[in-house]
Amino acid sequence: MNGGDTAPSEPDARPSRWRVARRQLLIGAGATVGSLLVGVPIALEYGRPSLARWMLERGTGPAEIPESSLVWFELTGDGVTLHVPKIEMGQGIHTALAQVAAEELRVRPERLAVVQADTARGYPAATLFTFGSTSVASLYTPIREAAAAVRAMLAVEAARQLSVEPQALTTVDGAFQVAGTDRVLTYTEVIAAHQGPWQEPAERPALRPAGEFTSIGRSVPRVDFRAKVLGEATYGYDARLPGMGYGAFAVPPRFGAQLESAEPGDVAAMPGVQQVVIDVEAGFAGVVADTRTRAWAAARALRTTWSEGSRVDTGALERQVTAGDGVVLRRDGSIRDALSQGRIVQAEYRTPLAAHAHLEPLAALARVEPGPAGKVELWVPTQSPESVLEDVRAALGEERAVVVHVTQLGGSFGRKGGQHLAVEAARLSAATGRPVHVGWTRDTDLRQAFYRPPTHTRMRGSVGPDGMIRGVEQVSAAGDIIWAVAGLPEPVRSIIGFDPGGLLGLFLPYDLPAYRLVNRREQLPVPTGPWRGLGLMPNTFALESFFDELAEAAGTDPLTYRLAHLRESGEQGERLRTVLRTAARMAGWSESLPAGRGRGIACSGDARTVVAVVAEVDLSGGRLRVTGVDVAVDCGLVVNPAGAKLQAQGSVVMGLSSALREELRIDDGQVVSDNFDSYPILTMADTPPVRVTFVGGGEAPYGMGEPVVGPVPAAVANAVRAAGGPRLRSLPLRL
Amino acid sequence: MRLLINGRHHEIEHGDEPLLWVLRDELGLTGTRYGCGVGICGCCTVLLAGRPTRSCQLTAAEVGERPVVTLEGLAERGPDGKVVALHPVQQAFVETPLQCGWCLPGHVMTAVALLARDPDPDEATIAEAASPNLCRCGGYNTIKAAVARAAELAREA
Repeated sequence: MNGGDTAPSEPDARPSRWRVARRQLLIGAGATVGSLLVGVPIALEYGRPSLARWMLERGTGPAEIPESSLVWFELTGDGVTLHVPKIEMGQGIHTALAQVAAEELRVRPERLAVVQADTARGYPAATLFTFGSTSVASLYTPIREAAAAVRAMLAVEAARQLSVEPQALTTVDGAFQVAGTDRVLTYTEVIAAHQGPWQEPAERPALRPAGEFTSIGRSVPRVDFRAKVLGEATYGYDARLPGMGYGAFAVPPRFGAQLESAEPGDVAAMPGVQQVVIDVEAGFAGVVADTRTRAWAAARALRTTWSEGSRVDTGALERQVTAGDGVVLRRDGSIRDALSQGRIVQAEYRTPLAAHAHLEPLAALARVEPGPAGKVELWVPTQSPESVLEDVRAALGEERAVVVHVTQLGGSFGRKGGQHLAVEAARLSAATGRPVHVGWTRDTDLRQAFYRPPTHTRMRGSVGPDGMIRGVEQVSAAGDIIWAVAGLPEPVRSIIGFDPGGLLGLFLPYDLPAYRLVNRREQLPVPTGPWRGLGLMPNTFALESFFDELAEAAGTDPLTYRLAHLRESGEQGERLRTVLRTAARMAGWSESLPAGRGRGIACSGDARTVVAVVAEVDLSGGRLRVTGVDVAVDCGLVVNPAGAKLQAQGSVVMGLSSALREELRIDDGQVVSDNFDSYPILTMADTPPVRVTFVGGGEAPYGMGEPVVGPVPAAVANAVRAAGGPRLRSLPLRL
Repeated sequence: MRLLINGRHHEIEHGDEPLLWVLRDELGLTGTRYGCGVGICGCCTVLLAGRPTRSCQLTAAEVGERPVVTLEGLAERGPDGKVVALHPVQQAFVETPLQCGWCLPGHVMTAVALLARDPDPDEATIAEAASPNLCRCGGYNTIKAAVARAAELAREA
């Protein structure tokens, strides 16, 4: 069962031979007699469509789009196991995917066990990469089709065993019944009595009509939570092996500092220290000890010298990220004409460096077999097993067989997709010949991370005599996001000039006679990278704050103003109008509020989902308090309403945390916000009621992991202004 | 020295280590979680003589004879160690789950202590008790709902 299955163990029996059937369905011989394995190859929708297209057109994407057995079913006497590549880090996707499979298999979703795939179970590592709010959206149809094919295959066999026509069978919760009789065969019985090879159904099985869904659309219980409430789920920090030591290693005192020398000093004689491992050429100095705190203390006591590195501070970083010239990404109409008439409004916005601050610090467990070609096995809380695998091979030798087991993740928000401790754990294991677990302290985790890059945006707009917007110019700069994790040489990045991750949330959804968009990447001396929604939230903060400034200049209600500028925007515009109206209705937008209180609205689109947020604030006593948040979301079909609501509420809290609290400070090339006292995140005491309404529906689910975070800070800033407060243009918002 | 954990005595080796690491690494009770090491986040909360306590902030030796209860000690178990019934707080969090679950043990232990002294807490009391514990996935409103549900389940039981 999910949750407990990631404990170190021998890899599960995997199908030893896949037989490709007519439509590329893979039918496997299971390790267990009387079991049936069916896999489905899926051309992975590699990333958000626009980004994927962009990367592929330029030939900078992954060498090949993986196409392989991404999802497989295992039907045995014990029930149905669904093997999925996508990684659970709290999104609830394992539950949602189980529901989708259960629907077409016609079993209760509670009867499905979900197993997290690893790189040893027939998956290329790249297919495990979990990112961009794509998991449920990209696997929804393939899983349904595979499950329907499995059921159809079983139905044909069951009919043969019962000597009836398949049409005479009805299916109820994992069993076939001959209609009008009490003759029943369970799936297990059908499989057990079957002999010879399985045949794929001759015709593509029909999928269940949405009107008949019994599983999709229901708030079924999470598949991983019983293990979690019992303390039985294995997260990366919990991974254990017999005879394991605890590892730790010296970390640079400043960004960019390189190890120049390392001496054990008296460390080898410290209590509990088992081995000191120094490889200056590889930039590594570490220890293995019998307890974690002894390992940490010993690593701190190593005598190391480092090159100077960067002495940058927060102020210098912000000066470097200054919007100006850049790549013109869009040019509609004549911005020069638009900005030479009407009422001109201009403003600039900033968002700071921010941390992911997932509550489980980074960790990894490694077991490296002796010899230069010894097998490497890793247990890692990662969104990207492929990068772990590649990095470990690069560090320990390309000839090594490397297996990455993915544990449960105690939060990630983009952080556990890039740098990680697997390489360090593997180095220590290789040097000591025993399994080694490495886990970071909170301060190391915050200091040695990559961060949400700072952004700066200059907006200029003009409002015509009719009150409508004549044109908008948006010029922005930001640190790297995708370039920080994608393998592309720096000269190429420089030539491209902008980071594709920084584009999310940049394109105005509004109908404007003129629009000019300029963006520039800035290579910073501080590591930056993906943070929930990438550029979505910083960009939406600038854009949707500025939209309210234009509305104010026009003397028009911000909701009315948005609706008026979304008339011609096609389907996207229509969907945005619906979520805006819904959120406004939920919040009682037209009802007046006492002095010192106000409501703000903002919207955005991401991963095909559109979101509108209304925030209500209270400024009485000179303090900014958010008193309520209403969210309307169109994420298409909702597979699990309770899970989707959690994602929405959690995104609001994370957005509020960014709006009100978070700012990573750097001094002399080192993070000084290195724990939750100096890097406060939102607490329960500051969390208002968050109401969520889903308005989408339709045939397909869209992304739900990130989109809702987008409009939150802008909605709060707009509410502050509506409450009679100042126009706040940088995060975190301070009165 | 020995510690009384979840009703059983355990011999432990590293009395000078924080209780958190003795639980996790010596005894394998990984349901108690590390989050900050300075007593802020609450992920490492256990019950020490019935009071919610940050296990990163005291050594095993400082615990002495006082009983410790961790997440693993809450469910009712049969003679074979198998779970017979979840604690009402655990049951409530199965019905009303959080997201990643890393902060969960701290919230569960805090709620267990709250319900022991106040079986029918109002929302403000629940929030006051739970507020010191962080949840980065943003499940604060869910936690309040789950604790209220736990109180209901405990009263029904």
